[in-house]
Amino acid sequence: MEQNWILRPKGKILFLCMLPSVALFLIFTAIPVGMAVYYSFFNWSGGKNKKFIGLANFAHLLKDEVFHESLMNNFLLAVCCVIFQVGIAFIISSLICSKMLKLKAFHQFAIFMPVVLAPVVVGFLWKIVYNQDYGLLNFLLRSMNLESWIKPWLDDVGIVMKSITIPIVWQWIGLYVVIFVSAMKNIPEEIFESAALDGANGIKKAIYITWPMTLDTVKISVILAVSGCMKIFEHIYIITGGGPGTASTVGAMYAYKTSFIKQKFGYGSAISVGIMVVSLVLVAMCNIIFGKGKERYE
Amino acid sequence: MVSALMNVMIAALSVFCLFPVAWMLYSSVKDEAAFKRNIIGLPTEFHFENYAAAIKTGKMDIAFVNSVLVSVTAVAILIFIAFMAGVIFARYAFKGKMLLYTMFLSGMLIPVHSLLIPVFIELKFFSLINNRLVLALIYTAFGLPKAIFLVTTFAATIPREIEEAVIMDGGSTFDIFFKVFLPISKPVLSTVTILSFLDAWNEFPFSLILMGKPELKTLPIALTYFTGQHSVQYTPMMAGLTIATLPVVVIYFIFHKKIMEGMVAGSVKG
Repeated sequence: MEQNWILRPKGKILFLCMLPSVALFLIFTAIPVGMAVYYSFFNWSGGKNKKFIGLANFAHLLKDEVFHESLMNNFLLAVCCVIFQVGIAFIISSLICSKMLKLKAFHQFAIFMPVVLAPVVVGFLWKIVYNQDYGLLNFLLRSMNLESWIKPWLDDVGIVMKSITIPIVWQWIGLYVVIFVSAMKNIPEEIFESAALDGANGIKKAIYITWPMTLDTVKISVILAVSGCMKIFEHIYIITGGGPGTASTVGAMYAYKTSFIKQKFGYGSAISVGIMVVSLVLVAMCNIIFGKGKERYE
Repeated sequence: MVSALMNVMIAALSVFCLFPVAWMLYSSVKDEAAFKRNIIGLPTEFHFENYAAAIKTGKMDIAFVNSVLVSVTAVAILIFIAFMAGVIFARYAFKGKMLLYTMFLSGMLIPVHSLLIPVFIELKFFSLINNRLVLALIYTAFGLPKAIFLVTTFAATIPREIEEAVIMDGGSTFDIFFKVFLPISKPVLSTVTILSFLDAWNEFPFSLILMGKPELKTLPIALTYFTGQHSVQYTPMMAGLTIATLPVVVIYFIFHKKIMEGMVAGSVKG
């Protein structure tokens, strides 16, 4: 972005043009972040009584078992998302970019469609899919005489998180497929051709060419998936409401319930801040893990 | 052999991604009894009264109007202000420019749910809860980082000679913006329009918290009326889901290439 002193309009005009964007951003993003941090130091139920309690909310947070459980659920989601969304998307994209696959445009279209749906709609749809009596899943299992495989998908504490992972992967895998396809298309054809001349087959090409040259994109995708998983809310809210009990509660869900249902705004803010911090730490960790990887291949 | 296997597997995945949506669409015109008898069967008769029932239960006609009002307003404002800001970032220097730009970009990292409580408190203080214009402005604010980023990177690629020609002919800043940049930026602006419209239309948590009055609720919230009350009627619910999703699906059918390109640009290059 070069400096353009000669053609620069008056300062007043610049200011007026930037003002709406800056103002909106400050009011609805920057200041609220500060407010969230501020309120986390208080004990407050929304009325006039606001009691400053310093770091007590955070001390409680560290011991809070429900918070731990919700973070573990977030981590479970993050791991599944990285393996299934990013990992499988990578494989699919490699196939889409290879010569073997037919109907590439159709597949991209189909796999990406869930991405544009509202998370709420995805939630409701899959809630019906998992329904014990009329759900699609149980119907298919019964038709295939696999009734013994039927389980209480959303009511069993041990299974519920795994059940919820599927709609989430279903919704977002298309995004990563499209991201990887566009990254892989940028790899020059000549590299693949000379590798083919040297006798490399499909899998070797994927490991020794595609993977190193898309490592940057892989890193970004992993970070996107992980930070996305920390934000999951609508799916959980609609499909299980966080239950049974707190078995499928995730961070954002717990913050919502604490603030708006239990009316504890101070502690709810502390939970939000906690989630933000954990997200940033995870993203930083991903940067470190992948940062090293890139140097190896330079 | 391997090739055939791969094709089958990917085809299975594509079907897996498409089928639930197709199932939702054709189940919505089935009779409830027919649905319960054969969950995946295609409809033999078309029961559009499910849609009437859905609209009644979920008050979807009002919700549809609300969603349209809020989404269109949010996008219209966003296009206008993000365009101006983006062009300025791309072309002109001023004190604190880098700081400001970084501030906008870092907005993409913030989990929006963390802002639920503070924004709610802000608005309650000014008695601006239950205000659709405010909700639209919130959606605009959330769309700013990505929109400004996309416009700025695009505008930076436009050659300077065009602007210089306009200046030589005595054009003002207004002319530069609207006669030079605006027509050329149509591609990036249409991408921003579609992406931010989708985000606004599908948004749930803020609408849930800030729209308490039933007549102000948007479509995603209206869907929640279907559960909890009496016994669940599945086919009207499918109809409700279809009403909420159909605009999105139609937009996707027409603009899917653009949407994919825009999302890649927004996610990867950001």
